[in-house]
Amino acid sequence: MPESKTALDDIRILDLAGEAGQYCTKLLADLGADVIKIEPPGGDPVRALPPHYHDNAEASLYWLNLNTSKRSVTLNLDDEGGRALFKRLAATADIIVETFQPGYLAGLGLGYDDLAAIKSDVILTSITGFGQDGPHAHYKAPDIVGVAAGGVMWLAGEPTDPPNVPPWRQGYISASIIGAASSLIALFHRDQSGEGQHIDVSMQEALSLAQETAMQTWDMLEALRCHAGSRGIIPFDVPGIGVYECSDGHVFGYVGAPGGAPWSELLAWMDEEGMAEDLTEEPYKEFIDNLNLRFLTTFTEDPAAISQKMQTMAHIAGILRKFAATKTKWEMYEQGQQRRLLWGIVSTPKDLAENPQLKARNWLTPVEHPELKATLDYPGTPYRFSETPWAIHARPPLVGEHNQQVFGEELGVSESEWHELEARGAV
Amino acid sequence: MKAALDGLKVADFSWYGAGPICANHMATYGATVVRVESETHIDALRTVAPFAKDKTGYNVSGYFNNFNAGKLGITLNLNAPEGLGVARKLVEWADVFLTNITPRVIERWGLTYETISEWNPKIIAAYQPMQGYDGPHKDFLGFGAVLTPITGYSHISGFPERQPIGLGTNYPDYVINPGHTLVAIMAALHYRHRTGKGQRIECAQLESSVCPLAPAIFDYTANGVEQNRAGNHLPFAAPHNAFKCAPLTNGGRPMDERWIAIACFDSDEWDALAAVIGDPVSDAKFATHEARKENEDELDAAINAWTADKDAFAVMEDLQSRGVPAHVVQSAREMLDFDEHLKARGYYVYLDHPETGRSAYDGPPAKFSKTPGELRSPAPLLGQHTEQVCKEILGLGDDEIADLMVAGALI
Repeated sequence: MPESKTALDDIRILDLAGEAGQYCTKLLADLGADVIKIEPPGGDPVRALPPHYHDNAEASLYWLNLNTSKRSVTLNLDDEGGRALFKRLAATADIIVETFQPGYLAGLGLGYDDLAAIKSDVILTSITGFGQDGPHAHYKAPDIVGVAAGGVMWLAGEPTDPPNVPPWRQGYISASIIGAASSLIALFHRDQSGEGQHIDVSMQEALSLAQETAMQTWDMLEALRCHAGSRGIIPFDVPGIGVYECSDGHVFGYVGAPGGAPWSELLAWMDEEGMAEDLTEEPYKEFIDNLNLRFLTTFTEDPAAISQKMQTMAHIAGILRKFAATKTKWEMYEQGQQRRLLWGIVSTPKDLAENPQLKARNWLTPVEHPELKATLDYPGTPYRFSETPWAIHARPPLVGEHNQQVFGEELGVSESEWHELEARGAV
Repeated sequence: MKAALDGLKVADFSWYGAGPICANHMATYGATVVRVESETHIDALRTVAPFAKDKTGYNVSGYFNNFNAGKLGITLNLNAPEGLGVARKLVEWADVFLTNITPRVIERWGLTYETISEWNPKIIAAYQPMQGYDGPHKDFLGFGAVLTPITGYSHISGFPERQPIGLGTNYPDYVINPGHTLVAIMAALHYRHRTGKGQRIECAQLESSVCPLAPAIFDYTANGVEQNRAGNHLPFAAPHNAFKCAPLTNGGRPMDERWIAIACFDSDEWDALAAVIGDPVSDAKFATHEARKENEDELDAAINAWTADKDAFAVMEDLQSRGVPAHVVQSAREMLDFDEHLKARGYYVYLDHPETGRSAYDGPPAKFSKTPGELRSPAPLLGQHTEQVCKEILGLGDDEIADLMVAGALI
């Protein structure tokens, strides 16, 4: 593992987070913070979630990804001895991240006020479905409840289907990102003032911005954005906008949007390959020359004009569909982009693993797992720093791997004390 | 009231979503943010709907305004040498420089880290290119709509028999990319606090957007498994879906639909749900998790039949009171007008804007007990604070400002 200076190497974080907050502490751990993951005896239940490494029930890829660069200790907060030990640990903490039901920690005598009495400048970051107060604060909130409450699920899917749950727990991810950013904003304040505080992150609120314009559209116009499916926000089929099938998958086009080459460039490409058919002739050529978003906007305001041009647009789209079908998705994407056409490949996980840009930048990050006798290619960094590089500083920990190091060596828990704690189920 | 980021100075040279939202959060927590725009190359979001009712012009887009509250707005023509001179003064003033403008243009203007760190060695300079400042695709074009398919969301979102249409929005633009960039900037500021050193951050939108889909990529790199669209189900929960309730009116249009998300992860949650529904789900084929997974389509149909004539909010309250995870699949209407919880927490903030009138903004993304965030002003009108920023922040005199205007630098 690379040893170098990091942005947060003077910061200790106690990680009491369940699924909703583990991406938060992963972000901070990979930036160099000393994140001590506190697992109940027997281990974090998230360790059991799929997908696993082959059939190894001990190695959840989902969990491994969320727990890079962390250390692990076991501690039973329901036991008084466990709580006493936690308090000793809390005295060394800069940030504590937790995802329990509101009031749970306070009920154990470990709420913000209790923790601040132990470590006056501590930052406690609480991440929950609905925040610490309000009538729904105690609602059960797995990811699907968050994305339903937060407005993003409503916008996803075809009009005739149930709204779609976004893949891979985007509610937890968003709450975690806001949790990490907020913790560091609070750290900025602590650096200036010496003052800690309690941060309250609600998954529902963290997601609200991801509704794009839906909130403002309702507020300003009392018009509702719905799960509009493949049509998106344009209420009719426009050639070059949307999903096109290639010989081995899909691309998604937004030809004619500002910044990209005009439709005429796409037509020139089709023509070079002898696939433009009659699109180089009138009435199509003139229509194509004018086919951009501004034109479409005027169009939307004039339903009569749309119906008049429906056939023209369907004809153009049909020929483009035939053209796309002769190419692979990578050809369509890379060759189109070289012509500055706004195309994106609809990447599968394999496409991402093999993406030339990600490869050239060494985004996948190999991590050795001696216990698995394997080196796994981990998904890599969201950002790059010139002075304090992101890194996976250690492979994710085994359950309680650092009990001796943290409790024994760092906190000075004696062997007899340890045996006593073990006997009562505190660790 | 004191704010967390009191004293922090941000030069926001960004546009569209990913950059402005990042700076927006810094403004909310107390930073002074100068948002740089130009009439010569308008931020396209100012021209995109929704617009305040019956209003036109550059200042009335709810899309733009929601991402730019609390900022000072100036216009600066960076294609004029005098405009670049003002940009330099802003960089010298700032702690943080932020841009998501395409690398080609940033390089043409000379606003790369090599240059601006000579002007201000302690600057934290955050760049959000689409794909990166290096690599074979560095000049590829994109924005949220194209980024969503490129980064894998479209392929694994929705139902397997459907086209890969994505999430209905330019999803990574709003929380993922601005949020990751904010984490990076704040971490760099902490490092600078300790060491006095600035640095360059690159949050390539490709890499940042892919991170939240890590499990799907990891499943491929470690197991060779290619995940596909899998609908609303989860392997370790059943039910786990959205169910149709009674519509808001009897219109039956999509905007009148009401759905509720219901999920059971353990036998306690299932038993509580089954007790409410009764007979339709009392069959042995739903008795265990394994059985429910095996018969999940039938299970979904039985629950749908049960919810069909019920009020979604009443079902939600009833199920949650019994310990069953459930929530109305809320549209923006539900969130703004019906959601008593969001109202009690005061999440949405209504601000008076000189051209749009009173309109709603997303509030602070998290609650801070001692230094609460606050939207200090509505989004700036185009060029609203040009003169103020030139005078009060950059210390320019009236004559200098007049010269800049004559040179076409302040448009």
